[in-house]
Amino acid sequence: MTESVRQRNASAWLIPNDGTRTNHRLRADMHRYDDDDEVDIVVVGAGAGGSVLTQRLARAGWRVVTLDAGPFWDPDTDWVSDERGSHSLYWTEPRQIGGETPVPLGSNNSGRGVGGSMVHYAGYTPRFHPSDFHTRTADGVGADWPISYDELRPYYELIEAELPVAGQNWPWGDPHTYPQHAHPTGGNGSIFLRGAHAAGIEARVGPVAISNGRFGNRPHCIYRGFCLQGCKVNAKASPLITHIPDALAHGAEVRSGCMVSRVLVDDRTGRATGVTYLRDGVERRQRARMVAVAGYSIETPRLLLLSATKRFPAGLGNDHDQLGRYLMVQGAPQTAGRFDEEIRMYKAPPPEVSSEQFYETDPTKPYKRGWSIQTVSPLPITWAEHVVAQGHWGAVLREYMRDYVHWATLGALCEFLPRPENRVTLADEVDRHGLPVAHFAYSMCDNDKQLMTAAQKSMERILSAAGASEMMTIQRFAHLVGGARMAAKPEEGVVDANHRVFGIPNLYLTDGSVLPTQGAANPALTIMSLAARAADRLVAGARSGPEMATVD
Amino acid sequence: MTRRNETRRPVTPQDRGRFGGFDVLDEVDRWDEVTKREVLGRLAPGTTHKFFTSTEAHVAVALLDLLLAQDREPRIPVLPLIDVRLADGETDGWHYDDMPEDGDAWRQTLAHLDADAMAAHGCGFAELTAEQQAPLVQAVYDAEQWHGLPAKHVWSLWTRYSCTAFYSHPWAWNEIGFGGPAYPRGYKNLRIDGREGWEVPDQAPDDPVPFADRVEQAHDNHADLVGRAPDQR
Repeated sequence: MTESVRQRNASAWLIPNDGTRTNHRLRADMHRYDDDDEVDIVVVGAGAGGSVLTQRLARAGWRVVTLDAGPFWDPDTDWVSDERGSHSLYWTEPRQIGGETPVPLGSNNSGRGVGGSMVHYAGYTPRFHPSDFHTRTADGVGADWPISYDELRPYYELIEAELPVAGQNWPWGDPHTYPQHAHPTGGNGSIFLRGAHAAGIEARVGPVAISNGRFGNRPHCIYRGFCLQGCKVNAKASPLITHIPDALAHGAEVRSGCMVSRVLVDDRTGRATGVTYLRDGVERRQRARMVAVAGYSIETPRLLLLSATKRFPAGLGNDHDQLGRYLMVQGAPQTAGRFDEEIRMYKAPPPEVSSEQFYETDPTKPYKRGWSIQTVSPLPITWAEHVVAQGHWGAVLREYMRDYVHWATLGALCEFLPRPENRVTLADEVDRHGLPVAHFAYSMCDNDKQLMTAAQKSMERILSAAGASEMMTIQRFAHLVGGARMAAKPEEGVVDANHRVFGIPNLYLTDGSVLPTQGAANPALTIMSLAARAADRLVAGARSGPEMATVD
Repeated sequence: MTRRNETRRPVTPQDRGRFGGFDVLDEVDRWDEVTKREVLGRLAPGTTHKFFTSTEAHVAVALLDLLLAQDREPRIPVLPLIDVRLADGETDGWHYDDMPEDGDAWRQTLAHLDADAMAAHGCGFAELTAEQQAPLVQAVYDAEQWHGLPAKHVWSLWTRYSCTAFYSHPWAWNEIGFGGPAYPRGYKNLRIDGREGWEVPDQAPDDPVPFADRVEQAHDNHADLVGRAPDQR
């Protein structure tokens, strides 16, 4: 297995073997294009979607320039084993949030720099279930994708091997196995397994993109517990180490510190011609034969709105007022239980154990779709949010905090439904470059609220069965997907099944913004797998002639 | 090697804590250099304010002491940690569309709190006793709107910044038994009730005062402070 991965993606073998984490030679020798070179494709954003696309196209011989607004991280010098000190990993450019239930951004759901938010995601990499691709037909809610699970499955398998993913045999959705055995569990995971067993709920260890054992030159996990602060070990997968090194070795240029301000479109031909971007405050331009945007669910719609022209006055891909809409977050209540034993949940990676028993629609319930349950292990600052959410402050806050080592915490991911009014628009406020910032409005529907309540009860059931003497729940949100969704026709979405923006034949979106539904799964693996599939379609299309950018 | 004074005792804020003898700073030599620099910097923050005016700082210190129950020395220097953050513009980026951006929101809400103190007691918030301050702060938590701002968003601002500063400090980690930075050392004993050689058990492993009673007591003290019957919480 490992050798076949190396044949198609040598990233893990391009990392140093000497205890340092970055191949500086590879970066120094990186191919560099001129702004005036018309490259084959310019990719906006080097996160989960953009990095995989970059690596695949570079391997196919394309001349690729990938622009990222943030830094080109070095885990040795840029990241710390500390919660507060990890603020630079998040997208902290100004944004406004509103709606009935505004969704806080920043640390929870946005990334910055090469590797994107996968630099600080927990590491969970579940697949979507086959039902996620046709919820409209099956359950009368959500949307049907223009592609099926079966079309994505081969890409799930490829990416799972490249990350690689560790976990027990998976019984839910499309049952499958993982390339690596499951990790041992810490206190929090052990509580989940104990409670689930006692409550008659199925749980499994994994699936996490944290190498269990050495993988190429990436070392074994040291169970440090700081997955959400960037993995200094190189054990947890992010595109910075799983796809970017191989992309550089195949001639791609990853240009960091470059904030793309506009996708350029020639109104006469209706085709994209490149992008403008800001580097050190100076506006520059990169010409390209094709453009792929992978800026995630807030910045991708914002960029397309900022790129309006006379021919596309409402923004690119927005002829039918679909852009920015159907943006989704998952309802993510977290329930903690108090135990007399010391749990010390900060030890071991926060992602340990999952259950997808409640993932699918239960016909006996009044709500549609479902949720998953996973261990989460908040570090002290985040744990304080849990305590404060109960209304505690002052002496009571301190008292609960002193009890930190006795608490275990579970988190649910509830499948909130896509709604047209949950959307990104441009606000009156401008950023430091003078560009209007994104306004993100979010409101929940009744089905969403019912799922939050039911998910909380299921976690209370597990923790009670494990012996918890007291419980506390915090209501929160997790992940972002949608905002420029994939659809069968332009009246219903922004891109087609090949990720091509409706109405602009050489503009593509290859990130989480294209998802029409979200399931109850963490989105990283699906975003990477979609990008790998999109790359295959682009390469196949290029072979069939210059005007036919993708196969149909 | 970092020189440590052998007779030095672990510091916890207000000498409160349940992990006697546990000092996360004993592990400093096993932290990576970048993390060490970052964390140790919090032990000696600057004393001059770059963001807050001295009037604002006066109110802010009183508010932060109250929110975090820092009623005596040794205190974690929370205000300087917030001040440097706001001075550097190191916000979370997003803000509620019914709130100003974080820096302005801090200035406005401190002024409002001071005005509330003036209206109720005829002097500034910082001049009041904790017993006088606490009901004014609790009133913000209990309100829907407060001086034209959504009160829960004001509460979110205050608690987010204050808890982030307080629980980023090694003295707070000593108080709660948290192991702090863990690279390149990692952890070996992951199981329930598993401890590394340098970790210290909770001094009340059998919970001599049942947890519920401890919380109840804290609630009662808190209720006394905010001046209302405990059952109203």
